[in-house]
Amino acid sequence: MLLLQLLIDGLQLGALYALMAVGFAIIFGSTRVFHYAHGTTYILVGYLFYWLSDRLSVPWWLAALVAAAAAVVFGVALDRFVYRPIQRDEGSFFTVFVASFGVGVVVENLVVIFFGASFVSISTPLTRVQDIGGGIVISWLGIASILLAVLLFGVLNWFLARTDVGVALRALSENPELIRGFGLNPRKLSQYAFAIGSLMVAPAALVATCVTGLTPTAGHRVVLISIAASIIGGIGSLRGAGFGGLILGLAESLAVWKLSTGWSEAVAFVILFCFILARPAGLFGTRARV
Amino acid sequence: MQGYILNLLILVAISGILAVSLNFIIGYAGIYSMAHAAFFGIAAYSGALIAMHVSTSLLVAIPIAMAICAALSLVISLPSLRVRGEYFVVASLGLQMIAFTVFSEWKEVTGGIGGLTGVPVATLFGYRLHSLESFFGVSLICLALVTFVIYLLVYTSFGRSLKAIRDNEVAAASFGKNPVIIKTIAVAISSALCGVAGVLYAFHVSFVNPETFTVDQSVLIMAMIIIGGTGTVFGPILGALIIHLLPAALTYLTFLPARDLASLQQIIYGAAMVLLMIYRPSGLIGRSNVKDTWGK
Repeated sequence: MLLLQLLIDGLQLGALYALMAVGFAIIFGSTRVFHYAHGTTYILVGYLFYWLSDRLSVPWWLAALVAAAAAVVFGVALDRFVYRPIQRDEGSFFTVFVASFGVGVVVENLVVIFFGASFVSISTPLTRVQDIGGGIVISWLGIASILLAVLLFGVLNWFLARTDVGVALRALSENPELIRGFGLNPRKLSQYAFAIGSLMVAPAALVATCVTGLTPTAGHRVVLISIAASIIGGIGSLRGAGFGGLILGLAESLAVWKLSTGWSEAVAFVILFCFILARPAGLFGTRARV
Repeated sequence: MQGYILNLLILVAISGILAVSLNFIIGYAGIYSMAHAAFFGIAAYSGALIAMHVSTSLLVAIPIAMAICAALSLVISLPSLRVRGEYFVVASLGLQMIAFTVFSEWKEVTGGIGGLTGVPVATLFGYRLHSLESFFGVSLICLALVTFVIYLLVYTSFGRSLKAIRDNEVAAASFGKNPVIIKTIAVAISSALCGVAGVLYAFHVSFVNPETFTVDQSVLIMAMIIIGGTGTVFGPILGALIIHLLPAALTYLTFLPARDLASLQQIIYGAAMVLLMIYRPSGLIGRSNVKDTWGK
């Protein structure tokens, strides 16, 4: 019975991880920017939502829309004002990573100054658990997060397969030089990648803020989970990243069955190590380039 | 007042060792490790445990801690150095997170969140290093030795192999160098030298707890290198000095709210990292040619 409950909890957690990971995978896959500030987008959305809905009593749907819009603006602005100037001088992968990290440090501490370093949470009746028979419980938000993840995957798949921008984004991840040959602008496309990738993390941040609460340092974990899921799934594969997120969520939850909760956080990284050791190309990746 | 300055200088020396040893792999080998605070912590816990149960001599604690760090570095370098650079960053970040969990959860050995308290005073050749002056002297000597070792390594054939691999791995391999083995050795050396700082730290503050060895600490060490200048011998030490003097300087600006000082300090170096990456990626005293320092 405990196992079944942990499985359900794991599915909810995995759905959130999958959303974060897919957002990261879109950005990293198509622009090759090691976007550490992806976790910063997450805390920005969470705190903005908390500030608007809890402190200013704005209706929740409006607060959520504003927060999601802020995520898009933040992602695109980072690409334009931080990553692009660095890449112009042929900055290496690590130069971009350090700058991204620096942005994360700045935003994290601004949040500490405005909201304090301690934990915040939003109480909503939706997080109350419902008994669905046999002592197994699930909350409405838990159900919503799973449905939301499935829905967004559907939309994203349609977008990448059927729209011009989607097709161009996939082309960008495969061959950036060829993109220019077709008269498309990689710079402009990378803005789309940042907009979509940042948008994907917003629902995860909104749900997680209500379910588990938020601290200013949560961003590190979010981006680490996203990176780990992308590697497990295979870099460049969105399906893989989503699947990787799901695996990590399930593993973290099921670990509680045998280990104390303190240890369960390390489980994701142990899995990551096993993958790097045994299958660096990931589940759906074709190869790991040396 | 003098005690305050000596304390600060001891911390600068310890951070200097951390920065110099990390710079060895970042600046000269192009290997970007985010797990330096984890090795710092592993050495500090080892040093504390050795001091409490075996011997308080630095000549016992430091070599053992160095050996432990070098051995554990293989855990990340063996799997991840085979594949491309990003994997090492991710693997080291993963190790950093696992190490923090182990520090705070393996309560029988590490004392959990509370950590280990009551580390005895260090001894060297039978002398107890009780005064701050003597401990500062020892820390400074350690910093000088570590810097000297790295200076020697960089200017030998091993250092040239490292730089060759950093600049062009395929070309280096075609000259008969084995990049994986050379990089693995470099990471082991860097982690071992980092161990010196861990042991000194454990003796200096006489307690260790997980809070010191977080991913933020890894970033701080990296910020020292980046601000000072990667791939230079003295840049990291300058960076360590700046990072430690900044909070001290901020306390003199009395108009700043005391509650936010720690955050303001982090904002300043976060912003410094972003601006340096945009305008001067090689750091304050680094070479001006970007491609030299951050070769792909």
